[in-house]
Amino acid sequence: MAGKSGRTISAAPEKAWKTTIFSWEGIMVCIFLAVNILCMCLSPNYQLKNVLREMPKYLAEIFLMFPMVYILILGDIDLTVGATVCLAASLGCLASNAGLPMILVLVLMLVVGTVCGFVNGLVLTKFTELPPMIVTLATQIIFRGIAEIALGSGGSVSLADYKSFKVLAGKVGIVPYIFFLVIIIGIIFAVVLAKTTFGRKLYAIGSNSVAAEYAGIHVQKIRLIVFTITGLMAGLGAIFLTSVLYGANTTTGQGFELDVIAMAVFGGVSTAGGKGKMAGAMISAFTIVCLRIGLGLVNVNAQVILIILGVLLILAVMLPNIVTMVKNQKKTAARR
Amino acid sequence: MKEKNGFLKKLSGSRELGLAAILIVLCIGIQIKSPSFLTPTSISDMLKNNAVTMIMALGMFEVLLIGGMDISIASTAGLAGMSVGLLLKYGIISNTFLGILLGILIGIVCGVCVGLVISKGKVLPIIASMGFMYIFRGFAYVLSGGQWASAADLGTFKDFALTSYLGFGVINNVIMIVIVCYIIFFVVTKWTVAGRKVYAVGSNVEAASVSGINSDRVKLVVYTVMGMLSGLAGVLSVSVYGSAQPNMLYGQEMDVIAACVIGGVSMNGGRGSVVGVFLGALTMAVINKALPLVGIDSIAQNTVQGVIILAVIVLNVLTQRATDRKNLKGREM
Repeated sequence: MAGKSGRTISAAPEKAWKTTIFSWEGIMVCIFLAVNILCMCLSPNYQLKNVLREMPKYLAEIFLMFPMVYILILGDIDLTVGATVCLAASLGCLASNAGLPMILVLVLMLVVGTVCGFVNGLVLTKFTELPPMIVTLATQIIFRGIAEIALGSGGSVSLADYKSFKVLAGKVGIVPYIFFLVIIIGIIFAVVLAKTTFGRKLYAIGSNSVAAEYAGIHVQKIRLIVFTITGLMAGLGAIFLTSVLYGANTTTGQGFELDVIAMAVFGGVSTAGGKGKMAGAMISAFTIVCLRIGLGLVNVNAQVILIILGVLLILAVMLPNIVTMVKNQKKTAARR
Repeated sequence: MKEKNGFLKKLSGSRELGLAAILIVLCIGIQIKSPSFLTPTSISDMLKNNAVTMIMALGMFEVLLIGGMDISIASTAGLAGMSVGLLLKYGIISNTFLGILLGILIGIVCGVCVGLVISKGKVLPIIASMGFMYIFRGFAYVLSGGQWASAADLGTFKDFALTSYLGFGVINNVIMIVIVCYIIFFVVTKWTVAGRKVYAVGSNVEAASVSGINSDRVKLVVYTVMGMLSGLAGVLSVSVYGSAQPNMLYGQEMDVIAACVIGGVSMNGGRGSVVGVFLGALTMAVINKALPLVGIDSIAQNTVQGVIILAVIVLNVLTQRATDRKNLKGREM
């Protein structure tokens, strides 16, 4: 039976409130609060209003994080999400400029994303010997390359009819629509992961795919589904990114894949598979977004933020390891 | 008779030979389409412009061999190249060899950082190197302060890539360095204890530890070597292209990994050879050089490159499956 904490499929019994607070998700909440307090101390402009205004730029990445958590739990990796966003955004903008009605443009972007994800999944499930990293690396070059061909020599396109896209970036009071959408989709992904057989199958495959296969799980079918969903979410991310940027170019979405993986890993999802929770990943995503906005408000250079994120990422993964190592050393010392 | 049979089997089963055949067919096809391809200047240009990938592929080969992964290498190369470029710009150093040495030193420091976090901190290689990718690239930007070193700032440093005193007046300096690196790695991986230890750790960490190999130390050394080669590649690229920017070589790690995988290095560790890496890196170089020569529009080049990479690795899998099936059949009889 799965423990309620759900980080792994284990028979470990539940130990009241203490485990909840000292779980990775509990620590993440503390870090989230600390980051917010720090930002408030640093800048008087760090107010809810300003933060929410800055947020849509970063929220598109969070759309990509939800399926990435699934992929990481499966023990796979997908480096194409940035390129898929680029391709979907470019084709969408071009179609809109060509006079296609808004609704068709949106459908087109979603379809482009889904097809990209499906191609990844198909190659990976037909040739299971191939490591996902190298396949998605090649398809990433191809997807971005197709976007380059579509965009032509200029390498960029700006929306002629940006008004209809601007509607998507609208707000309820001070909260942008996209924020609600992120929360709703996040909850759906979290519930599917934690409460349905589909979600439990993901953990099973990630822990031991051979055992999962023998237990009657259609491993390859599930991988295909998850990769296709990733493409779909990349299409959705592209829509909202376009509604903020009013255009696309060949570097749109560059580096998204690694940012997204960093968010998931910071939230306690293991790239080795079978470990992680959506709640942790979501809190970590918002922590990173808040940190970026806060440091951006006090004019910290974007590159310095890169350094800080890198250090945080390594420390977040290394500290638990070191703690357990020290504990083990103490135990062996006590035994002697 | 039996021995000859075994030899033939070994040949037909070897991935290197298959790749070499693909490469030769590719070269002949390009040569027919564009006769200027296989001339000494053209080949020299091709090798010089792809020296960075070729050198870093050696380090990545060792990293993949122990089942690791390092995506910080392009940032390490960028940091080393940018630092040396700035030192030359402000006239702090002017000696070419001192510059190269400093670049290698910076690379070693970066490699040790990555290696320590992975071997002592027990962090998954892809995560650790991703963190350091951000950190090193960030440092390169902070150091440069938004500036970049142009050809005029570099002085005599860029002449290094134009002359050939290391190659006895025949072979370009940069290409000579690449050749020396490959020879050293070939000898080390094939015939020394250190090289075989790397294979042992990659095949089975537990077995290697039980047989007395300090796998943590092997890992640390491998990542340090990787850093060293990235540093070297970074300074060489400054010399070849005659400029240093903070975002130089962005995304190069992906080319390097692709070169290794095309060359038959397994991403699960323990399998691969220097000859394979050489052929893989050469394939990437030929593709890069040949696409404009055969008249493919510059806009479509990336797409074609991606399709070729995907095709080569899929072809690899298909041949592997065919040989496996043949072996199985042989056993049944």
